[in-house]
Amino acid sequence: MVEKCFIPTSLAEALEIRKETKARPLAGGTDLMVQYKQGQGITPVFPWPVMIISSIGELRGIEKGEDGSVLIRALTTPYEIANCQDVPYPVREAASRMGAVALRNSATIGGNIGNASPKGDLPQPLILLDATVVLKSLDGDREVLLDDFILGSKKTDLRDDEIIYAVRIPKVEYTHVFYRKIGTRRANAISKLSLSCLIRVEDGAVTDFRASSGAAGPKVIRSRETEAILKGRRLEDVKSLIPEVLDGWNRAISPHAMPEYRRNTTRRMLEHFLLESVSASSECIIH
Amino acid sequence: MVRIDDRIRRIDAIEKASGKAKYLCDISLDGMLYARMVRSTIARGRIVSINVPPLPEGYYFVTADDIPEGCANSLWMIAKDWRCFASGDVRYVGETIGLLVGPSLAVLKALEESVRIEYEEMEAAISIDDAIAVKGGPILEKDDIHCSLTSQKGGDIDQILSGAAQIVEETIETGFQEHVHLETNAAICTIEDGRYTFYISCQCPFYVRKSVAGLLGLRPEDIRVKQTTTGGAFGGKEHFPDVLAGPLLVAEHKIRKPIKLVFDREEDMIYSVKRHPSKIVLKTGLDSEGNILGSDIRVYYNCGAYLSSSYVVLQRGVFHANGVYNFPATRIRGYGMATNTFPSDAFRGFGAPQTLFAIETHLDHIAAKLKVDPVEYKRRYFLRQGDETVTEGHIVEKVVLEEMLNQVAEKSGYFRKAAEYRRGSGRGIGMSFYNHGGAFTGNGEQSIIKAHLRLVKDGDRFTILCGQTEMGQGFRTILRKIVASVLEVDMDDIVYDNPDTDLVPDSGPTAASRSTMIVGRLAEEAAMQMKERMSEEHVEIETEYKHPEGHPWDQDTFKGDAYLGYGWGCACVEVEVDKLTNEVKVVGIWSSHDIGRAIDELIVHGQVNGGIVQSLGYASMEKMENRGGHFRQTSMSDYVVPTSMDFPRQEWGLVDNPYEWGPFGAKGMGELVFNGADAAYIDALERALDVTITRIPMPVEDIEGARA
Repeated sequence: MVEKCFIPTSLAEALEIRKETKARPLAGGTDLMVQYKQGQGITPVFPWPVMIISSIGELRGIEKGEDGSVLIRALTTPYEIANCQDVPYPVREAASRMGAVALRNSATIGGNIGNASPKGDLPQPLILLDATVVLKSLDGDREVLLDDFILGSKKTDLRDDEIIYAVRIPKVEYTHVFYRKIGTRRANAISKLSLSCLIRVEDGAVTDFRASSGAAGPKVIRSRETEAILKGRRLEDVKSLIPEVLDGWNRAISPHAMPEYRRNTTRRMLEHFLLESVSASSECIIH
Repeated sequence: MVRIDDRIRRIDAIEKASGKAKYLCDISLDGMLYARMVRSTIARGRIVSINVPPLPEGYYFVTADDIPEGCANSLWMIAKDWRCFASGDVRYVGETIGLLVGPSLAVLKALEESVRIEYEEMEAAISIDDAIAVKGGPILEKDDIHCSLTSQKGGDIDQILSGAAQIVEETIETGFQEHVHLETNAAICTIEDGRYTFYISCQCPFYVRKSVAGLLGLRPEDIRVKQTTTGGAFGGKEHFPDVLAGPLLVAEHKIRKPIKLVFDREEDMIYSVKRHPSKIVLKTGLDSEGNILGSDIRVYYNCGAYLSSSYVVLQRGVFHANGVYNFPATRIRGYGMATNTFPSDAFRGFGAPQTLFAIETHLDHIAAKLKVDPVEYKRRYFLRQGDETVTEGHIVEKVVLEEMLNQVAEKSGYFRKAAEYRRGSGRGIGMSFYNHGGAFTGNGEQSIIKAHLRLVKDGDRFTILCGQTEMGQGFRTILRKIVASVLEVDMDDIVYDNPDTDLVPDSGPTAASRSTMIVGRLAEEAAMQMKERMSEEHVEIETEYKHPEGHPWDQDTFKGDAYLGYGWGCACVEVEVDKLTNEVKVVGIWSSHDIGRAIDELIVHGQVNGGIVQSLGYASMEKMENRGGHFRQTSMSDYVVPTSMDFPRQEWGLVDNPYEWGPFGAKGMGELVFNGADAAYIDALERALDVTITRIPMPVEDIEGARA
């Protein structure tokens, strides 16, 4: 049950409707239909107008840019993301472990970002890679860092007249990368904790180091301050700097529930990643 | 023609897998109304006022005031204390206060949300410790103890412990567990041919009519109950359907139109019965060589606000508390504690899993202390035929635990791996032993149930009439197979439908692992008599349960043979633990069970697989927390049950040990297979991480606590 429901067939039409009615886009419905369900035998009730955008072809697909960036349009499903080799490893991994098979075929990247759940699977590796969100409105385009777009738990910077058009992942070079999701079980699981890390080593020096934590605070956590500890350092110095990195990271995260587990496990995973990266002989994925 | 050793396809496999089976929510009757419960939102308090918004035409609000004068506002389960409607006060979150009835579910929901109930809230007792401390004052007349009993054998335990060289004492706790039957609770009440009639998803149709008849001053036989195809139960539909049926009957009395009540998943999750959480204090005395001199065990079960069937659950817990072992002396004191949580009730295992987990884990800890292999330590104390039980009875049957141990040890490589995997290495293997007393406690089959079964021949067709229900366990297939095998006819020649209390004799509840063992035997006997009369056109044979000789029991003192026979089990679990994240990967599961003889190996295989996975879920991930009387896990995404990805393919085996009084030598097995994999898992986990674990479930975050 909705006040008003629109089914635009083009992006232009959707933008008009959005501006005029502030109708909220509904795509796969895997979050909204659950959130607004009324129980057995009763139609879900949405407290605002809705537009079903599933049939807008312009919002689909993954495209690789000449600069090596990857543009993933809003209606792209986790299944498609997980199976596209152009998409960087941690994002593919995260997409491949979202929910169950049926959900991975109907959920969308736009929805996962727009929902802004601290336990959302895709924002975490996307924020690691400094991905941006491309927003469209009748007034034009706007592109902002995903990390800035998501303001907090279930809060975004999306304006009343805007639609999430796509996510752009810039080309990020790394020599070692790590992705881990600890779910409530092995499949069809909500994240209890997740972590992505990457490091780039060139001529024996660390030229990039990043980490991002999911489900460890109200939004995905990056700490540029902590990342800076290793940047520019010689590889042989990394080991002695690990305690400083771990402490910095521990200060950055703010898990509400199960704090002991989330802090200790994040610490162990980060330490493991750095130790393995330092001793790895060539570029690789750290497991 | 079918033979008992054939592995056959289940009779209901196609209709269920293809979606053709009709469940309660698929049934619609002419002029049918819907119902929605109005429930207590606090754990304990006095109801000051109930303000119901003006009801649109055709809508009703039914409460305790609608129960006819002189009739009791109570559901007769085993005890009669559970109220149909809360009145004056509320004792747990979710207690039924009223029933809204009308034609639109959406309107009913809106009405429910605008009912305002004013309470004078009182301090609630939620945990076992709260109840021991009588927090908020007594829930019952003078304290918070619903029921208690003591069982013992051997010499004076206090004296034995005071002379022990060493005493190992610890407290082991287990949590709530939700049944998560695929089909939620659901019922329709209507009037057919002038009689109150239920269509209901349930295990025990005869329980339903007995439980609710008194609300209208009727006799049970005045009410007709038709079981509808039931999508899983696990004990959650043994007594709990009464909680739907009672208010529906009162509403039917007032409204006189068909009324349907179907719980959605969230309601079924937070407003239904659970497995009893337990706290078990074990104190075991050892001599200087580490031999057990005696064990003193206190068992506390959280029963919730009403007794319902908890006394019987507690009895089973106490009678299984020394596991499959023969200690020189044991004393077990059991207490069923009253709290302001949703009442706990039947759940596969019925009180046995908690104490079996405790004793297995306790013995693992003693063995670890003594630096001996736990399996070698435990096998010294295995019960044998003729040994005395904790109820001063005896083990009547041949016990083949050694054979089962050898079978499992060989397949799993237990002894090699146990020696090879260093404690704390991240790899571990564990083994557990368990049993389950089949059928009702003591002489309950004789004194309480007196089961009857009828077999009718009409030409070439044979109809089985009894009250046993199919709920996914395979009984529709099992019972036909028993009869078809004896008569040497095809499965298709046998008719056995969902029971209707007007048409079938009462053969007792579908519970307590009794259906095959007890009712299967009645069917076998009926078929054997029928076989002598195959030339006749129409024959009706009724068989009646007879208590087998040599099983004395005194229900007043709980002394004698507590069960007619036991199923026995041995399970082994191997794990690899990721020390970064505490994630546990189960890499092997092996089991052996003594169920007498299998009536159908495919069905038994399904039960073994399901029971063990359910037990592993109980030990690892199925966490149901209760804060202030409210269950915190409200959906299947936060109350997590295992998927097929979580555990590997199981290797399983049976031992042949025919049971004298069961059909084709079969005894109970549905609960047995739940009773032990949890302890094997925790044993393996403890070894892998070199930690001591004293409670379940143990999800990753709680393993963190154990590692600290």
